[in-house]
This record gives sequence, C-alpha cells and structure tokens, in this order.
Amino acid sequence: MDDDYYSIESILAENQKIQCTFKVDVPDMGHLDGGKAGDIKALSKVQIPLWMAYILIYSDHADFTIPPPFAARVRNALNAEPRSVRLSALVGQGGWWYGFGRMIMRLLNDVPAQEISEVLTKTFRARLPEVVDQAQHFASLQSGAGSSRGDAGAAAFREGMDGTERELFQLAQESARKTKGWYETSERGRR
Amino acid sequence: MALPPSLRTSISPPELQLVASEQLVEIVPLVSMERTAFISGAYGPLRPPTKCKVPLWMASNLKLKKKCHIVPPPWLNVDFLQERLLQETTDPSFSEMPFRFAEVAKILLDVAPDDLQNPDRVRGLLKDIREARQAKSREGLSKLDHNELMLPNLCAMEINEIRPFFVRGMAVLTQLTREPPQEDGMDQG
Repeated sequence: MDDDYYSIESILAENQKIQCTFKVDVPDMGHLDGGKAGDIKALSKVQIPLWMAYILIYSDHADFTIPPPFAARVRNALNAEPRSVRLSALVGQGGWWYGFGRMIMRLLNDVPAQEISEVLTKTFRARLPEVVDQAQHFASLQSGAGSSRGDAGAAAFREGMDGTERELFQLAQESARKTKGWYETSERGRR
Repeated sequence: MALPPSLRTSISPPELQLVASEQLVEIVPLVSMERTAFISGAYGPLRPPTKCKVPLWMASNLKLKKKCHIVPPPWLNVDFLQERLLQETTDPSFSEMPFRFAEVAKILLDVAPDDLQNPDRVRGLLKDIREARQAKSREGLSKLDHNELMLPNLCAMEINEIRPFFVRGMAVLTQLTREPPQEDGMDQG
C-alpha cells in the first residue's frame, strides 16, 4: 500500500489493466493490444497495465476511463452496504482493491479524485470492524476447529476481503491469540 | 530485521508482565532478611510482622516459597471492581483503572489467590470488565481516523492487543485520504 519502490503489494496493485484511449498514433506498438502487430491508431481503445499507463497519461498520449472496480455500479453497491461487496472479486483473488484505488486516485485530480478517496475511506472504515470482529472470533477458536461459524454471510465477507483487509485480519488474529494465550497460561505452572 | 515477524508489530504479553513486575506491592514477610541490593534497587529489610514494599517479582517469588503474604492493592477487591464494572457498563467512556491492572491482577491471582478475598469472584469481575472494555475499543475502531485517535484510560494490555491493527488501519487510511494541499500549487508536475 505504501510508495516503497520494493513493495510487492504496490507492484501487485499496479498489475491491473485499465482502459486507455490513445490520442496520438503510435507506430509499431500494436502488440500492446493483443497479438496483432502494427500501429496503434489515435482514438483506439487499448487495455494497458497501470504501471505502463502512468507514463502515457502523464505525457498526454492517452486518456483513461475509470476501471470497472470503481465504476458507478460498484460505488452504488458500496454506498448501500459496504460489507456485502466482494472486493476480492473486483480485482481478482489476492488483489489489492484499496491499492489500485489509491493509484487511480493519484491519476485523477480535483473532484473525481476526492470522490474516489471518499469511496475508499468510507468503505475501509465501514468494513474494518467486521474484519477485526471476525479475526478475533477466529483467534478465540481452538486451532484446528476450522470454521464453526456456519454463517454464510460471514464466510462470504471473508472471501470478499481484499489483500489489505487480509493483512489486517491476520494482524488482529495474531494479537488476539497472543493476548488470549497469555490470559490463559498460569504463572504457577512455570515454576 | 532480526526479530521474527510476530514480535515486530508489538511487544508480547509476557514482556508486559515482566515490565509490570517492577511495580511495588506490600507484603507481610514470614522470614527476616537484611536490606539487600538488587539491580533495580535495594529492598528490605524484612522483619516478620511488619509490612514491607518490594517489587512484584520478588513478592511472587517469596510467595511461591511460602515466605510472605501479599497485601492486595486497594483496587483488587470485589467492592471496588464491582463499582468499576457498573461504571464500565453504564458510562460510554473507559473507567479509570491502574495502567497495568491486567498484568498485576493476573500475577496476584495466579500466585497468591489465598491472600485475596473471594478470588473467584474477583477473577470473574475482571473478566467482565475486560469484555466491557473490549466492546468499547471495538467501537473506537469504527471511529478510526487517519490522523488521531483518543481512547483515554486504556490500559497497557489493551493497548498492546489493539496496537497492530489500529496502527495498520490508520496507515491505510492515511494512504487513502487525499490531502488537498498537494494540488494547490505544490503539484510535483
């Protein structure tokens, strides 16, 4: 999620394609859009990985459209109930929805960027308590007991967590487990 | 870093317990001992019927050898805890507890249950208080903000438990929040 050059997460978050519309002709770069060689014509639409799109957009060779994970349909769903949206389904298994969103936010300016930022923060804040609740619930289970909580909604939420939330889940689970372990061990037995 | 990942996010509960063991408690010694110098200071002399203040680690050590009785701190009894539990369940803010009450209470309950009045009841009350406070810190989670968070009267063990994911969560929020000044003439372009 951070800007570290060596951050694997940030590389993975960049590995999403966005649709760009070229403004100029680019000779001999047709292979970017699938196998066919040749030129890219102006106004043609090409799916380009985000890491490559930066330079094209900043140097004004191309425009981009807001990618589907942040389209109006998803935003409406997030507005209605952030916890029922499967973020991982939007960016693929192990994807980084928040990281991707942050990069899109950086590409935009003013009002649209502000909107994306609001969507991201609101979603994150609304989903965080559920992430931590479930993590603590799982920490308190005996190891190996598996998912005794047969609640389908909770399971769906867990599957829908994106990479960032998975990290938080793990942190919360680990710390709850450590604390619980401490409360349960007795000083007496150790001497 | 040389530390294993599990220790990087926060210190572990046993370490906190170690820190709390430096606190002084009153004991009634059953053996006599001259004033003795330890690394953390000089304690004693122990003269059997007189009370004496020693660190918790020493008290528990002596207690396990049946060489003293520990005088429980004023907050570790049923009446006080009951009152705090009431406060905890009626008032939305955290009630005032000693900063390291969880650690001290656990050591005393483990080592010297016979020096406490009604240790089982105390144990139960502490558990209830802990759960009530946990519910509140969970509420604090939904108020999480990218630049500040105030949960006054949170104690050491609770802070330690929530630290990893609160810190990470705030870091994520910082990343997701767009700072307006970046655009106002200070653009990198």
